[in-house]
Amino acid sequence: MEAMLKNLASTVEMLAVAAQSDAVKHWDKQTLSRAFHWARYCEHVFSRFHNNAAIRRIMEKQLQLTNQTLRDTIPGYTEVSFSDLPRCQHLLLVRLLNNPELPSSLMKMLFDTARPVKTMHGEYEDVTGLCSHIVQCKSVYKVLSPLADMSALGADAEVQGEMLMERLEALLNQGSETCRAEHFLGSVLQGCEGALQQFCVVIAAALLTSKNCAAQTAAHDFLLDWLQKNHSLLQHMCSLLSPTLLRDLAKEHQKFRDAFCNVLKKWASEMEYSLNDSEWVLTSTGPTVSFKKLTELFLALFEASPSLKGGVEKELNALKISDGDFDVTGLSVWGDLLSALNT
Amino acid sequence: MSEQQPLSQPLQTEEPLLNDQEMQFWLDKAVAWGQADSPDTQKDTCLHMSRLRDFLQQLLTQVNSMSSTTETMKRLPFLGQLLGRLCWNPYVTVCDTSRGLLLGCLWELYSERPSNAVEQKANQWIRKVLCQLSTEEEDTAAQALMKCTGVPAKEYHLKVLRKKVALLQENVGQSCTLFNSQRCSCDRIVAISEACIPIVACPEASSLISLLLQRPVACVTEVLSEDFLDALTSAYSRQGLALEEQALVSLWYHSFSSLEEAVLSLLQSVITTGLTPQKLEQQVAQSLLTSISVKAFFPQSPSSLLVPLLTMPSEMPQGAWRNHLNWLSSSLQRLTEEEEEGDGDGRSTRGHHNVFEAWFLLVQCAHWVQVAVQLLVTSGTEDGDPFLWLLIFYHYPTNRWHHRASQLARAKEAWNHIRTLFSGAAHPLPSDRLQSLVTLVSPQPEQQSLAPSLTVSLLVNVAVFCQLSPSGSAEVLQAVVDQSGLLDEAACVLSSLELRLNEGSCLSRDTVHLRIKELQKTITQMHSDGT
Repeated sequence: MEAMLKNLASTVEMLAVAAQSDAVKHWDKQTLSRAFHWARYCEHVFSRFHNNAAIRRIMEKQLQLTNQTLRDTIPGYTEVSFSDLPRCQHLLLVRLLNNPELPSSLMKMLFDTARPVKTMHGEYEDVTGLCSHIVQCKSVYKVLSPLADMSALGADAEVQGEMLMERLEALLNQGSETCRAEHFLGSVLQGCEGALQQFCVVIAAALLTSKNCAAQTAAHDFLLDWLQKNHSLLQHMCSLLSPTLLRDLAKEHQKFRDAFCNVLKKWASEMEYSLNDSEWVLTSTGPTVSFKKLTELFLALFEASPSLKGGVEKELNALKISDGDFDVTGLSVWGDLLSALNT
Repeated sequence: MSEQQPLSQPLQTEEPLLNDQEMQFWLDKAVAWGQADSPDTQKDTCLHMSRLRDFLQQLLTQVNSMSSTTETMKRLPFLGQLLGRLCWNPYVTVCDTSRGLLLGCLWELYSERPSNAVEQKANQWIRKVLCQLSTEEEDTAAQALMKCTGVPAKEYHLKVLRKKVALLQENVGQSCTLFNSQRCSCDRIVAISEACIPIVACPEASSLISLLLQRPVACVTEVLSEDFLDALTSAYSRQGLALEEQALVSLWYHSFSSLEEAVLSLLQSVITTGLTPQKLEQQVAQSLLTSISVKAFFPQSPSSLLVPLLTMPSEMPQGAWRNHLNWLSSSLQRLTEEEEEGDGDGRSTRGHHNVFEAWFLLVQCAHWVQVAVQLLVTSGTEDGDPFLWLLIFYHYPTNRWHHRASQLARAKEAWNHIRTLFSGAAHPLPSDRLQSLVTLVSPQPEQQSLAPSLTVSLLVNVAVFCQLSPSGSAEVLQAVVDQSGLLDEAACVLSSLELRLNEGSCLSRDTVHLRIKELQKTITQMHSDGT
């Protein structure tokens, strides 16, 4: 245990050196391989112990100490948290490539198109061509990505949705600590600041994963509840996602269907008729949705659930009546909505 | 790079640099490719890839010869722009060669000891580009998820790629369906196969490519373009292809040139390593060539000959061989007569073509030629002429270029001599007969001699099937081989004859077996005596 903590601390220190120190100037191929070896070690340690609460706590404490020391000695130091550990090699690579003191010979080696040499016993794994391989992998995807395929969301969104679900399932599986799962979702949302639409697509993809197992159903449920609690997010989802996607979501999840329906009704109720534009306009804060869009969304909802259609139309009719039951445009959003839906 | 020169000194100018026009051309291309992402742009990019590689190679050489980055920037002011743009073009970075050249050029612009601000800036720029290429994440959501779920970037990108490949495979797996507009869905598959051209050698794409190759041909639309098949064939010849067996066989099925390539490389490996007939058999069996349906590969061959030639001797009763070969021989004779008749009117290409195809097919099915020799030798009083003709045709298919008729006459002579030598009637061996035979076989300055393989074939078969005792037969063979110097050929023919007889279990008679053993002993002895 002691040894492990020591290694952990040393690796974090090494990451700091890799990021900012010009000691990197003296690194050679061996040093580099060794550095990646220790980064891999940390990844391994994480996967071994992240479910063990007691050991996790000890490791977190160690990291806290190490981070503190480094923060005090290195200006602009970026902390390494426990949850960063599974990506330790990546962190090392990013730090090294951003360090102008990294010898060009090592950089050349990382970008070499040659394949790494088979490791001899007792040697550290060769990192030749590490970056070259990453670039190639990304390029192959870019070459293939314009091609139309069977997915409505796209390969990247699907994978992202799966990643979200996997983590969520794992967190929920660990016990009744739902706050951790909530914290996770919150941090992803925060990380997507400035890219809200992307985040909504990820949530949609997550909700559309179909493993058909209890863990997934529970996770879906949790996610839907979380969405409902985050009402503004839910509204953004309904305004940013395509009607087709929303239809699919409503088809899969009753909770979503109901929430979706409520959002649409709320929007309709908040619309006012603008004489200048001669159309209904949403004036409240929140996403802007045109009347036309609102109609499309209602239609998508009905497509997802034909049984819902009758009930909603009845509701709309009742509301229209309460507005005076006029058939003139611009007087009742409910009336106009009904006629738009029935054309 | 060599030491920098101070800028005050005049630059040493030699031959003019790379054409300015060329540079402009590629820069314009790079800009155009970067702006659009349409199928046309993709096609254009793929079409220009090999030229671009050559250009980059030239560029690399040129820049290498310059003494400093400052000089390079002066002489090729647009170089940085070009390289920078190409770095973000996936078609360029996906291929090992072009990526290597591109990065090589970039590194040529790097200065170990920057002597001015320009060089320093260049260094910074190069590092930045490389860092961005490998670690920058454009997708915000992806970045957030990676951080929050602890999935490293490399793993993420691999996952996404595999997912995309799987989705495309679903597409390819779909059978042809007609849409409302009466255009079938195969168009999408065509697009996929075209898109795979730059990535044929990438292992991540191999499962997709395998599926494309093995997709059942359902409609008129040609799904696999020539360019796609060519790309696969050249990758295969560079040994850069990682396809599973079935997919490889499918590739041969779609593209004759790739099959040719496979056959040639097999032959090459045989020639260079000098395999014995046994090892050759092993090698051929190991290569996939035996598992393919030969019929699919000889669409040009005369159909009447196809099945009879492709049928193995072991697949029919021995008693039927004679008739079979008689028929084959007369069919081929007729073909050659037609060809020769057609020679006169100048419209004779069809005839030549037919003879060539038939001969080519015969060569693939040489097992029948071997049987013909065996039957000739064991004919006794029956007419062996058709078999001799077949043997001659195998070696000398035409009159015009191979002098078949005159070679036939010569062969008949040789055959007579051989028969006499092995008849046992003469003892000791008639030296005049022996001499005549040797003369016929040895290369002469004015005339064409008989192909050694032909004579040796006759010789060995007679030695094996004659009525002489094993030692007697061996004695005669030794004499002939000694005088004509055809030891290696004899050894080869003998071992392949033994192989064939063993296989077909035609080794019914012990005497034949004993004779073979004795002959082998003799040859081995001659080999060791000779060294």
